[in-house]
Amino acid sequence: MVQVHEKTVKKAEPPEDRVKGMVVYPMAIVARQFVKSLWRPSTILYPFGERLENEDFRKTVKVESGAPIGVGEIWDNYRGVHGLNIKTCISCNLCAFSCPDTCIEMVNTDAGGGKTKKCPEIDYGKCSFCGFCSDACPEGCLTMTPGYTITTNDRAHMVYSPQRLFEVYKAKLSQNPTRIALPENEDVILLDQDLCIGCNACARDCPTKCITMIDIPKPESKPGEKLPKRIWKEPTVNDPECVRCGTCISVCPRECLYWGARK
Amino acid sequence: MVETLYSVAHTLVVLLLGLLGPLVPGSGAYGPFLAVWLSYLVVGALVFAVSLVNVLVFIWWERKLLGRFMDRRGAMHVGYAGLLQNLADGLKLFRKQPFSPREADDLGYYFGPTAYLVISIAILGFLPISFGFSGGAVPLSLLVALALFSFAPLFIFIASWSSNNKYSLIGGMRTAAQLVAYEIPLLLSVVAVVALTGSFDLNVIVGDQAANGWFAVPLILGLIIFFIAMLAEVERIPFDLPEAEAELVEGWSTEYGGMLFAFTMLGDYVRALIGSYLIVLLFLGGWSMPWGLSSFPLSGIVFFQLKTYAVFAIFIWVRASLPRVRTDQLLQIGWKRMLPLAMVNIIWALALVVWGYPVIHWPAL
Repeated sequence: MVQVHEKTVKKAEPPEDRVKGMVVYPMAIVARQFVKSLWRPSTILYPFGERLENEDFRKTVKVESGAPIGVGEIWDNYRGVHGLNIKTCISCNLCAFSCPDTCIEMVNTDAGGGKTKKCPEIDYGKCSFCGFCSDACPEGCLTMTPGYTITTNDRAHMVYSPQRLFEVYKAKLSQNPTRIALPENEDVILLDQDLCIGCNACARDCPTKCITMIDIPKPESKPGEKLPKRIWKEPTVNDPECVRCGTCISVCPRECLYWGARK
Repeated sequence: MVETLYSVAHTLVVLLLGLLGPLVPGSGAYGPFLAVWLSYLVVGALVFAVSLVNVLVFIWWERKLLGRFMDRRGAMHVGYAGLLQNLADGLKLFRKQPFSPREADDLGYYFGPTAYLVISIAILGFLPISFGFSGGAVPLSLLVALALFSFAPLFIFIASWSSNNKYSLIGGMRTAAQLVAYEIPLLLSVVAVVALTGSFDLNVIVGDQAANGWFAVPLILGLIIFFIAMLAEVERIPFDLPEAEAELVEGWSTEYGGMLFAFTMLGDYVRALIGSYLIVLLFLGGWSMPWGLSSFPLSGIVFFQLKTYAVFAIFIWVRASLPRVRTDQLLQIGWKRMLPLAMVNIIWALALVVWGYPVIHWPAL
């Protein structure tokens, strides 16, 4: 036990070391920092940061070998402001559904030719740049770009309409990878045939038009039995085209569609 | 007669009165009286302008250097390299409404920081920036400057007590304790300089250094003691216990806002300016430079300012590097380390005089 006691007792540091450790050493560190800051840029300066998106300027910036990013460069998969291709958007609502911050709202947008469709509108006052919406987008039309200069003085200006997101898309910044691969044995849309009334709502609202209504034979009524009042049609899902947006389930008036394992 | 700021101002004012006097009927009877008081005004305005310009550049210098020390850039956008940022900040503070807390004692609340700033700027009238560039030739200018310098804890304590705030009062009491404790090593390290020169006149002290070499060489111990004591006197990190942000909100200036806060801030920087001036005057040769560098016109002021900014750069370097000391450490450093070392320094200076350090007794100015 005596040995343990001897080991745990530490000798007090001499005052010379204390002065060296608490005065000289930090001052030397700070002086080195000062000398370093004289010839290398300290930070990315905000108003001049936009030039970093200029390819020519980025080529002139030297990056230390081995480092993926140096001063004056941005990661290629940096998650900044979104780009939206309005033309390929199918209004599936998956981006708004996957958003943890509820910053995405589907608004009516001019789709060209006098038609309108729902496209995402993003409030960057709420957005946390998690990228879930970009991962969820089945068409790859909503992607995250390296653009980050979205600071304004006006709160309303932080809300990006689909047209503004389309402008970002047209700027052709590098985009992060689109939707992650679908898992195998993903759940599919199943139908409870007894509840279905053949109302066509699912086929009408399906963004990818992968649901078709197929005629089913009308059973002959037995004496004393009343046939249900319905249209004698049933939805059929073309599975490879389905993006699993769940729109059909949410619009079904009888709740006869549900998620389930592939049969 | 040495050309001082006062004599130059008096000559100019007399000339101006001679030109304008005939235009104002009946002004001849008040001629000498007017000349004296107008020249006082001119000298005061000059000292005020010089000190405020220096303080503005000091704050800019601190912002830029501190930024570099912290891997930032400091003020960048207002003016060239942020030089006008302090003017913008001052304008913002100037536009604010003056107010006092409901329970505060208004007289002390308004009087404290104002007197703190005024007494700090008044010291600058006694510190020569170059030969004769002071309010007047005062034989005891060093003594007067240090006496006025030690008035600050009184006004700080008045301000903090009148604020009727717990944090203010604790900060004020800490200020009083710290400033009184560090006056002693400060003054004792000055005693060594006075022993070597035999004069309290700062002009003589600088002239002695110009002839015999800077006192930073024989009195290096005194320089270190004076520097540390001055750090504590101007309440800068690592001795900023009176304004410890983590413990007391803003120390003794917690309740102040707007222009009164600007007064406390200005007072702090004016005192830092005085501290840098005193270090340069007492130990770094003032406006004198070796190798005949200070023989050009106006070079004295230029070299003096360069030395001042270099000394303040060390203040900033210390601020960027060191953590705040505890109260017990503060008093331990002051009473157990600095005071005996100051005594050793005095004995060393006296030994130098006995061994024949060339003390030049300059003719009285």
